[in-house]
Amino acid sequence: MELTHDEVVKILKLIEASEFNELHLENGDFKLVIKKGKNESVLKKEGIEDVRVSLESYERRREDSVSIAEKKPPSEDVTVRIAVKEEEDLVPIRAPLLGIFWRRPEPGAPPYVEVGSFVTEDTTVCLIEVMKVFNAIKAGVRGYIRKICVENGQLVEYGQTLFLVKPVSEEKTEGEAS
Amino acid sequence: MISKVLIPNRGEIALRIIKACKALGIRTVAAVSEADKESLPAKFADEVVCIGPSHPSESYLKIETIITAALGTGANAIHPGYGFLAEQWELAEACETHGLIFIGPPGEIIKKMGNKLQARQIAEESKIPVLPGSQRIQNVEDAIFWAKEIGYPVILKAAAGGGGRGMRIITTPAELKANFEAAAAEALAAFGDGSLYLERYIPNARHIEVQILGDKFGNVIHLGERDCTLQRRYQKIIEEAPASFLPLKVREDICTAAVKLAKSIGYENAGTIEFIFDQDEAKFYFLEVNTRIQVEHPVTEMVTGIDIVQEQIRIAAGEHIRLSQAEIKIMGHAIECRVTAESPEEGFRPSPGRITRWIPPKGPGIRVDTHCYTGYFVPPYYDSLLAKVITVGINRREAIKRMEYALQNFVIEGVETTLPFLKFLITQPEYIEGKVNTKWVEMVSKKRYNKK
Repeated sequence: MELTHDEVVKILKLIEASEFNELHLENGDFKLVIKKGKNESVLKKEGIEDVRVSLESYERRREDSVSIAEKKPPSEDVTVRIAVKEEEDLVPIRAPLLGIFWRRPEPGAPPYVEVGSFVTEDTTVCLIEVMKVFNAIKAGVRGYIRKICVENGQLVEYGQTLFLVKPVSEEKTEGEAS
Repeated sequence: MISKVLIPNRGEIALRIIKACKALGIRTVAAVSEADKESLPAKFADEVVCIGPSHPSESYLKIETIITAALGTGANAIHPGYGFLAEQWELAEACETHGLIFIGPPGEIIKKMGNKLQARQIAEESKIPVLPGSQRIQNVEDAIFWAKEIGYPVILKAAAGGGGRGMRIITTPAELKANFEAAAAEALAAFGDGSLYLERYIPNARHIEVQILGDKFGNVIHLGERDCTLQRRYQKIIEEAPASFLPLKVREDICTAAVKLAKSIGYENAGTIEFIFDQDEAKFYFLEVNTRIQVEHPVTEMVTGIDIVQEQIRIAAGEHIRLSQAEIKIMGHAIECRVTAESPEEGFRPSPGRITRWIPPKGPGIRVDTHCYTGYFVPPYYDSLLAKVITVGINRREAIKRMEYALQNFVIEGVETTLPFLKFLITQPEYIEGKVNTKWVEMVSKKRYNKK
């Protein structure tokens, strides 16, 4: 399945205008994930690693994004990510202790991370509670959250995979973040 | 009602508890360390949860983690087994706080009996004979004063202790001076409390203990006594029931004393009252109370027909003891040998590793409690117990014969074990004739292994 630039823009606009925060579109090998986010856009094409584009550099980096993105996206508030063949090369963030898994610093607050969030080694990704003691869990890896493997409020055992992260090397993210 | 039991323990006892739960139709959660994730208890339990890394201080000893695991898996009871947290009153209390049933005595009783000086005092108040001994000792001068009062030889013990750690036999004031600081330091390191006390040392002694059961309604019965005289460095290696070398009258008196003590403290669940029997004077003295299921409980089970772990669960669930004292009958004689992964030839050096061949003995009157199998890796982080071989016969002679057969036909390859040593011990004439005391094993093992 191929998408033209116009089609992508159309989809982005629809999402922008709608109440939805996320769109997952899948057709055979092709998978399109669009998320409304704050800071950054992520583009991915089959077989190659993530192409991260901050909104400002979107135009500049469009040659990497093949036929999908040729212009600035209509809104700075939209994250585009086209992901194919998940799971590969992903690094797990494991529970360093047994306890209850919490995604938010407190009830009602936004979660520490979402799928697509960029994390560095020191980013807090969740809390693990052991009898009212809340332990902040650091990512320990630099990259993008690809998958959240545990439901909020669940018991996690020692060593259980909490998140899957697509790792990115340091230079690359620095370059792209400019 | 107990519907699901979490077992924060490992090895044969975890498996033993799972079996008792299955028999009662209770679901089980094995709470295991990383090293035990593939163990038999983890496979046999209905659920398994990994509570932390291999080192016990990061897994089996973490009360908060264990409580969280129980609440998170929907268990409503915890059976601690023996070792690890079994005699930490903090776990029993944490269970009470979080609405979980602790399968064992209330925290308050564990706390009282955990302080050996306090336990001694309670025994004294209940008119149970105790050895001449001291109060808490402040310093060396104090120790020398008390030792003179008591009369040498004396034994230096940790107030917070048990299990032989920090214990030293002292025959002269000079020895006392030389050993006091080290013993206090050892006690502090092992129990977080360096307090020491002194007791008279009985050189020609047997170790006798009484299995008791108490329910929440003040009923206490005993299941007879065990003879655990065969020890190496204060660790029991061969245990028997009944203590057939003691006069019947003494056995009855010891059991009566045990029940009296248990009643006086409102003891609940299974417990063991330990005594020392002075063979020269034919007198017994209170030693300590163990507020848990013990390693050697199977010998009592084999001669009474009672599943002690099942009884523990029933009592914890609030049931009355099902049997009266008159209904408890001792039938025949049972012996247990602890097979450990240690090399007797090399000073009992631990021998962890992969078991390449494992064929336990089978036959009439033979029971093997174990968590091992061919291909099992014996981890280096825990105690070295591989199996308990228990034999029962119509009398002691038959039980010994069956033990000889069982040890002879136990195949273990890949790790060094104490099987040859156990075979040696049970075939010694002194053992067969009962001419032993608590120092006998060390004496004969020196003879056997130092010759080379």
